[in-house]
Amino acid sequence: MNLLLAVPFVIPLLGAGITLLLRRSPRSKQIAGVVTLAAVVVDAVWLLWLTADGTVIASDAGGWAAPLGITLVADPLAALLLTVSSVVLLLVLLYAIGQDIGGLSSATPQTFHPLYLVLTAGVCLSFLAGDLFNLFVAFEVMLTASYALITQAPTRARVRATMIYTVVGLTSSILFLTGIALVYALVGTVNMADIAIKLDGAPDDLRMVLALLFLVVFGIKAAIVPLHFWLPDSYPVAITRISAIFAALLTKVAVYAIIRTQTLLFGGDDVSAVMLWIAIATMIVGILGALVQDDINRIMSFALVSHIGFMIFGLALNTVAGIAGVMVYLVHHIVVQATMFLVNGLVRQYVGHTSLRSIRGLTAVSPALALFFFLPAVSLAGIPPMSGFIAKVALFQAGVEAGGWLTWVGIGAGLLTSLLTIIAIFRVWTRAFWGTPLPDMLTARAELKRGPDAAGLRMMTVTTGVMVGVGVLVAVLGGPLVDLSFTAAHDLLDGGAYIEAVLPGGGS
Amino acid sequence: MADQHGPPVRGGPPEGWEAPRERWLSTVVRPAFGPRSVLLEVVARLLIPSILTFAVFLLVTGHDRPGGGFAAGLVAGMAYVLRYVAGGRQELAAGLPTRPQGLLAIGLLATAGTATAPLLWGDPILRTFSYTADLPVFGKVKFASYLLFELGVVFIVVGLVLAVVAALGARMEAEEEEARALSALRRRRRAPSGGAVEPRTDPGRPTTEGRNETP
Repeated sequence: MNLLLAVPFVIPLLGAGITLLLRRSPRSKQIAGVVTLAAVVVDAVWLLWLTADGTVIASDAGGWAAPLGITLVADPLAALLLTVSSVVLLLVLLYAIGQDIGGLSSATPQTFHPLYLVLTAGVCLSFLAGDLFNLFVAFEVMLTASYALITQAPTRARVRATMIYTVVGLTSSILFLTGIALVYALVGTVNMADIAIKLDGAPDDLRMVLALLFLVVFGIKAAIVPLHFWLPDSYPVAITRISAIFAALLTKVAVYAIIRTQTLLFGGDDVSAVMLWIAIATMIVGILGALVQDDINRIMSFALVSHIGFMIFGLALNTVAGIAGVMVYLVHHIVVQATMFLVNGLVRQYVGHTSLRSIRGLTAVSPALALFFFLPAVSLAGIPPMSGFIAKVALFQAGVEAGGWLTWVGIGAGLLTSLLTIIAIFRVWTRAFWGTPLPDMLTARAELKRGPDAAGLRMMTVTTGVMVGVGVLVAVLGGPLVDLSFTAAHDLLDGGAYIEAVLPGGGS
Repeated sequence: MADQHGPPVRGGPPEGWEAPRERWLSTVVRPAFGPRSVLLEVVARLLIPSILTFAVFLLVTGHDRPGGGFAAGLVAGMAYVLRYVAGGRQELAAGLPTRPQGLLAIGLLATAGTATAPLLWGDPILRTFSYTADLPVFGKVKFASYLLFELGVVFIVVGLVLAVVAALGARMEAEEEEARALSALRRRRRAPSGGAVEPRTDPGRPTTEGRNETP
């Protein structure tokens, strides 16, 4: 138990140390990175296996019992997200290695591998953290690595984007720390299970203020609508592997933190109405932004903002079905968003940029690329056989069950957003993938295929293909996934199993 | 070491009255950002050992009193920053056992290693073991495995501070020196005779030839 809970963040830190030591040999750095992440994947799957029936595993670091020491907790939600995240992290690393092998990359491999592993450690620790302060530390580890990663291959645009990203990130961190201080002042503990027990007796208005504060803190990181402005400015500018992993994971870690704090600590009903309004605004504003963009990466970034709205919607319902829907959506969205950004990276490899103005006929340039774009795109839009459909149906069903006029408005907004997503996606499809390719695109392809980069390009394409396959797998495993999500959501709303695992005997 | 200072270095801004005439630090290369100051060098020379000692004190006292690896690392890092401010990047490089990344790596491995080691025999992560010994002079002394972890933290923090200094200060200094060398080269090419250069040329040429020179 102790070992399983420690591996996901300690092994990447060890790996980061090792990759820092291996200065001269890029190959051994790559091997160290892949082995590390593969170990994390195995560990995460194992944890998922153990927790799938709703068991909660806890471990106290240093042997200090729960309310005092650092507690690591894995429940089905954490284990599921850990598994999906580690798989995506591994695949993106393989993609990056392909790019490096081919010499197609502009990243500095000296610092990329250690930082990437530190980021992994931060992401994994966020999922496993059992107390608020440890969650803060995990966020900081993740964010500090991300500040450095976003400036890989610095250009003027990237440095500018980093400024915005860093300032926004630090602001949310300060608010987070303030929130922790306030909670500690109120109940005298930072252990989440302990807070959950003790906050019950707190005055309602204080609870609501705290709930709102934490919603703002994680809302900034998750890019919910009034707080989303930084994301479309910073993510698309970074190099492919970085924007893929940021888009797929960082916002989702924040969504996970919202789920954890709102369900376990605050019981959720305090800010339900606010969250519904936020969800509606996020869906509509995000997708309207996506409709007017001209760059595929920017379109995807705005779509990302808009689809965060779906998750907030499910969470705002505060029912078992709603939260189960959010979990399915999270899994679907992590995989699909990473895939889309990897595909955009391949487009950039072929064309040199991702602006819709001068891309034509990508289908003729690379049929595989067209397929890799099409499958996740229709999944994002929520067209039937794909995972996006399963996720959206789960959310809308939960909404119908919950009822209430605002919920119906939310469902309406969700349907409208799905339709507009289809328009945004097909705008990209018709402009970039159809038509006759521009002549320089064909020569560029010929050069790529013949040049020394061919092996790297093949590896990148295969990795993207595997990622598309994972997306399809999410749809195929839809049934078990929904079952698992319901088990997890039930435990999350109840909170009993979590508290019992962390504080055996109900605490002091 | 009387002639350590040597004749005025060719080129470069004139050394002020406060330029050191004796050797206080391990290099005598003039940094690109200006002349050296004897006051700063003496202060650095005097303070650095005490700062480092204080860092060690913070490290060992941190187990149950204020202090610990993080504070110790910051304080020790400041010693190196002081050395850099006094003597420039050559001086900083002279004082470093390894590159900053190496320190970071050692620190990460030490912390993560000590954190994981208890897992091997089934204890939870970060479990601490301690051993109290009776030493002749010091009396009862407690050794804790936690100290190794904190030592790793020290390495990480010092490594980070140095990495920042190397990336911001030292890199800019190197670029500045390079730019000056280039402009000096250009001016020399433009000079009519081609060979001999006016002594007053190129303010602040890199003064690397000033290192330990003898007339």
